[in-house]
Amino acid sequence: MRNKLWGLVVASVLAQGCVRPAKERAERDQSVGVASSGELGVHVLHGLAAVRELEPGKLVLWSSAPGFELELDARSAMTLELSIQNCLPDVEVSSLEPDAEVSPRSVEPSTRKSWNLELPAGKSRFRLAAPDADERGDFHFALMSDVQEAIDRVQDIYRRVNDEPDVRFLLGAGDLTRRGTDDELGRFRDELEGLEVPYYTTLGNHELGTHPVRYQDWFGRGNFQFVFRGVFFTMLDSGSATLDPLVYDWLDGWLARARGSTHVVAMHIPPLDPTGVRNGAFASRGEAAALLARLAENGVDLTLYGHIHSYYEFQNAGMPAFISGGGGAIPERFDHIGRHFMVIDVDADRGVVGTRVVKVEPGD
Amino acid sequence: MRSCAILTFFGGLTLSQHATGADALPKPREQSSSPAERTPPDKEPRPSDAERALATGAAVVPGIVVHGMGHYVAGESGTGTRLLIGEGVGFGLLFGGLSVVVATGASKYFVGPGAATMVVGAGLFGASFFADVYGSVSPDADAAGRRSRPPAWMETELGYRHVSDPLFAYEDFVFQRVSMQAGHLRLTPSAWFSADGDNARYRVEGAYRILGAIPSALDRPVLNDELDAVLGLVQHRFVTEHFTRSSMELAVDTRYDLGHVGRTLRGAFVEAGVGYAFGRIDYDVQGIDVPADFDDLLLASIGFGAVFRGMSHPGSEARIYYDHRHDDYAGGLVLTGIPSGVAGHFGADARWFFTPKVGVSVEAEIGAALVAGISLLFRQSGAGPAGEERRVE
Repeated sequence: MRNKLWGLVVASVLAQGCVRPAKERAERDQSVGVASSGELGVHVLHGLAAVRELEPGKLVLWSSAPGFELELDARSAMTLELSIQNCLPDVEVSSLEPDAEVSPRSVEPSTRKSWNLELPAGKSRFRLAAPDADERGDFHFALMSDVQEAIDRVQDIYRRVNDEPDVRFLLGAGDLTRRGTDDELGRFRDELEGLEVPYYTTLGNHELGTHPVRYQDWFGRGNFQFVFRGVFFTMLDSGSATLDPLVYDWLDGWLARARGSTHVVAMHIPPLDPTGVRNGAFASRGEAAALLARLAENGVDLTLYGHIHSYYEFQNAGMPAFISGGGGAIPERFDHIGRHFMVIDVDADRGVVGTRVVKVEPGD
Repeated sequence: MRSCAILTFFGGLTLSQHATGADALPKPREQSSSPAERTPPDKEPRPSDAERALATGAAVVPGIVVHGMGHYVAGESGTGTRLLIGEGVGFGLLFGGLSVVVATGASKYFVGPGAATMVVGAGLFGASFFADVYGSVSPDADAAGRRSRPPAWMETELGYRHVSDPLFAYEDFVFQRVSMQAGHLRLTPSAWFSADGDNARYRVEGAYRILGAIPSALDRPVLNDELDAVLGLVQHRFVTEHFTRSSMELAVDTRYDLGHVGRTLRGAFVEAGVGYAFGRIDYDVQGIDVPADFDDLLLASIGFGAVFRGMSHPGSEARIYYDHRHDDYAGGLVLTGIPSGVAGHFGADARWFFTPKVGVSVEAEIGAALVAGISLLFRQSGAGPAGEERRVE
């Protein structure tokens, strides 16, 4: 009898592992942005930045969003060098506590900045944001996904993005690497130095080639939401062709929070592939439709995907949808698209104002 | 194009039979009509237990790499060679289909035929391995080979299904199916009803038997080959999730009796199907007029099975299979690594008839969800005394 019970338990665990492939990553999301050393505790609210380095007197964060709040808990008064990587060029850090002081330290490449923080003992809170982060009005962002083995040529795309003067940041829908190894993720980070705007992205199935998955240590959460100029961006980890049940719980809150504002949802694998026989889509058509119904019901304005190495413009559940996998990975033939990125104009009150595709030719 | 893939599949086996002609079986009709021309089954040499154990071991190692090794060890070199050729053809189809998909970057123009070819190739690759194991293990293939599977003119099924899907609240279902066959035509309505009433899936399947036995046929072949053209209509209601998915599908389903390949494989079979489904998703979101989505689906399946013998009655058999569907309860396979979403699901089922008319079936599938079920089966057989075994002597 006892053996049978153990058998049931083991079978249950195995079954959960089979049908919840993204569970480990979703749970890992919850600890992104949280770290502590003997003298300092770090908490990035909502996990919108990954802690890349925490040493005595020094904290390095990789930003996943244009802005976030940072809570620091110092054992004793101290001076901290705060370095933010992948930040907006005009980002500023302000103290939300009267006793803490902030002074700029250095300006490196445009997406890397440092500040000196004078921390009192105990908790201090800071906000990192662009000066116009809370204003409304339209702005542009770009979308580029699916680089994979084309990392050697990615600077062509970055140069072309840099030529777009109004683009505030580049959004990514995953597949930055071939297998998601530390070497590949490190190389991707290094290549981003050629990009003059930050790259906010989720992960794709090609970041899942190692176990444990390394992506979150480098670039932060796979599932998160941020707001910029009143527009909500929800990034979802659909790298396993499904969303984890935990993510659906978060999604309900994010959808509710974004109601009434322009809401952009991005993920790597689209719920439905416009070419259904290919099924570059969710593993379950039932889950796909259920997710789309949920997004439509909550007034999502725009859905963005990667995974398919081409460009598709269509509608899902009445919401505008774009698949843009033009980062250079093996392209879909006969589609006459090739490498490309999208530029999207959004407004918190007017929704999606415009979209266009920018093709990147070799040597651009 | 998909039909080409399935024809290539069986063509591979048939060609391999011709290629090793010496000990290939005579055609099934010849067996049936001229039984005196062949050795009576009980006179055919049967391997000892030790020989079978040795052959079975060889079928696994090195047979998992070189298919047919079990039969070589058992002295059935002709069958072993045919299985080896089947492995090669399967690998070729798998690699060929994969090459097309990769070379075209999964182009929408080529990915359907490429994926169907991959499924059939992988199926043939797997089937040649399982067939080698089956033929090596089987103590008396003739016992199964002598057993014809009479098609029922009516079969009803009532069962329970459990769906373990962490994304949906439903779990328990009642499953009902009725299958009626008249001549070459078959009509099969079926339905799943969730216990909570929040989910239901209806399917009506009409089929025309192009090749194979029909209930009214008096002369049943010993080898059960079948080829059906199938038209299916599906409606799947998700009440809680506010949508309904409807689809229409056209497919060709076939069963190939592996008795064609060698005498040790009598009673084993391969099933394959290819087709296309076109679907529509209607959303029922309160207060919002959401336009419908349209999608399509590649249908491709492959399975290996064997009939039961001994105490069971005809129609009893077991199967393992791969089904490329993504639109049913099991959905497609989800994995923790890179290749997630593209593949369909795997399954196994078995039917056991206690009497000529009454039996049970069990099934299990693993995809995005886990599905398990058990059913009661009732059937009315075709011509001749119900459930009579066809003996070839």
